Amino acid sequence: MAKWGMVIDLDKCTGCQACTTACDMENDTLPGESWQDVLYYTEGEYPSGQMKWLPRPCMQCEDPSCVHVCPTRATYKDHDAGGIVFIDWDKCIGCKYCMIACPYGVRFFADEKPLVEPDLKEVFAGSGGQLWDPPGQSPDTDYRRGIGVQPKGVVSKCTFCYHRVKEAPEGVPDLDEDDPELVDYVPACVRTCPPKARFFGDLDNPASNVNKLIGNKNGIRLKDHTGNRPQVYYLGAGAGIPAFQPKS
Amino acid sequence: MTAQDNQSGNPALFTPMLYVGAAIAIIAFVFSGFMLMTQGHAAFNMDANVAWGLPISTYVYFALMSSGLTLLAALAMVFGFKQYYPLVKRAIWLAIITLVAGLAVLAMEIGHTFRMLWAIPLNLQVESAMFWMGVFYLADLIFLLWKFQRMERGDWSSKLSRQVGIAGFIAVVLAAGTLALVFGMMSMRPFWYDPTLPVWFYATAALTGVAGLVFFTYLSYGMNTERMPKALRMDMEGPLPRLFLILLFITLVMFLARLTTGLYANATEVNVVWADYLLASGWFHLGVWGGILLPFVLLLARGLRQSPAIQMLAAVLVLVGMFIERLYFVVGGQVVPLFKGTWERDLVAYVPSPTEWVLTVMGIALVFALYALGERLFNLSDMPQAEPGEAEAEPEATAEARS
Ligand code: SF4
Ligand code: SF4
Repeated sequence: MAKWGMVIDLDKCTGCQACTTACDMENDTLPGESWQDVLYYTEGEYPSGQMKWLPRPCMQCEDPSCVHVCPTRATYKDHDAGGIVFIDWDKCIGCKYCMIACPYGVRFFADEKPLVEPDLKEVFAGSGGQLWDPPGQSPDTDYRRGIGVQPKGVVSKCTFCYHRVKEAPEGVPDLDEDDPELVDYVPACVRTCPPKARFFGDLDNPASNVNKLIGNKNGIRLKDHTGNRPQVYYLGAGAGIPAFQPKS
Repeated sequence: MTAQDNQSGNPALFTPMLYVGAAIAIIAFVFSGFMLMTQGHAAFNMDANVAWGLPISTYVYFALMSSGLTLLAALAMVFGFKQYYPLVKRAIWLAIITLVAGLAVLAMEIGHTFRMLWAIPLNLQVESAMFWMGVFYLADLIFLLWKFQRMERGDWSSKLSRQVGIAGFIAVVLAAGTLALVFGMMSMRPFWYDPTLPVWFYATAALTGVAGLVFFTYLSYGMNTERMPKALRMDMEGPLPRLFLILLFITLVMFLARLTTGLYANATEVNVVWADYLLASGWFHLGVWGGILLPFVLLLARGLRQSPAIQMLAAVLVLVGMFIERLYFVVGGQVVPLFKGTWERDLVAYVPSPTEWVLTVMGIALVFALYALGERLFNLSDMPQAEPGEAEAEPEATAEARS
């Protein structure tokens, strides 16, 4: 089985948020509760201040702290599904320990005060336990993998668009949106990215483009000191996160 | 002796306390249940940044108070400090009801309470500290109830009763320690990350346990030590306030060590939390200086220490102060935004919502109601009748404790 990984080239990323929008549409997330987001950072001060940004999906960590803490095994790493970390919405009890334990802040309870007004949970009131009934809801639903419209009282996160990726032919080294044979299986954020800053492929396949990019262009994992070992790698001179500084 | 001829079970106080407490708890339950049904968890102010707020800190507060009371009871039940026997039954009852109150608040907070009942046992995630916390607190509750039942039957020191007491002690040490590790093992949350956190939890648990016991014992006797059985009165004048003072001292020293380390550290997730969140809040100052330092000073002088009014004041200060400290501890681990960039430019602002406060009131009301119920149904000041040969052992043990 493949080990799916993502490579994000920050020298190409323009911070346009097209990936975020595509993800929100694909996965019917509520406004502000974006499984994929672009984070902006300012580093340093005048006259050498820098503006940085980086897209942030779930890192699908190889040693995911969210999995270790989950008391019900609702969060699990599925090695038969490319090592993607899923949440079983039928098992999650909404204790939010995983939100505490994920160093990358990529988990969403969403059953909370709206981040953006108007509250779409009221405008499109949810039925059948869903938090909301989005117009034009995506047809894909798999509660055992946290795919679909998020129900009440559970946590959600990026699934690497497993509902697409799982349809890919066995053994392909990369899922490249430029390949007409494969374009439908590519995660929504990768497919949408206008400057082609995102790449998706098999980290276990020595011939994959993602492995070449990581090896040849100094791929790094963010916050690697946490030991979580993300399956998402970043390229480019700006990859890194400044320490937190409260606004003075 | 039954509850009727026990002076502490004062019906003029405890009957209204039972009904008023129960009424408040039920109203709070119905209100928060209604808010949860209509608004979902939007009735709370927690979000993706502060995932654990006031309900969790209330649970931690009660669970640790329960653990502290059990540790206190273990002084007599496990370690043979017999002079604490007059306190044991009340301490065990309080340990049961504070744990029940904490669990009730927790049950209202999580996303799927009923699912928890099967999903945790059926999936046995032994890697999760939260799993073990559940296992150990459940064992703790079972042993507490069992021990209380033995004491109710007058069986204080049969082999079985002693074994249940020891099992309860082991369970509570594991439970409170694991609760600490739920926070203390989170290396991605440097403010909490601390292998010695269980020690801080044990010390503060014991402190709040003693404070709770002082508070409720005086409540039962209307602040009047004359009405207490002699052995209990002796405890309230000597060993218990002394233990209270020692625990305040230990807590104070540990707090100062935590404070110094926190302020000295360069790591922002630690330093900023202490300097710009905890110490920037008047409430936090009130909690730690008013809730640890002031009671310590009050109890320092022997004359004051023996005064029921001063003990009661110190107990109330500790109970309020540590409540504040628990809230700031739980929230403090989350106020530095994690991987949010300029979406969160400053420390995360979190203020509990009215529904969260109502849940806390529910827990407090439950404790008062169940305590009154306990006073009505049982003789909480009961203690073992002196057995032959114990008369000599007693002064010795007392002397030991006083030294
Ligand atoms: S990024 Fe967070 S949620 Fe995703 S696998 Fe890693 S620890 Fe889990
Ligand atoms: S919130 Fe759900 S997925 Fe997260 S730790 Fe709790 S049970 Fe597991």
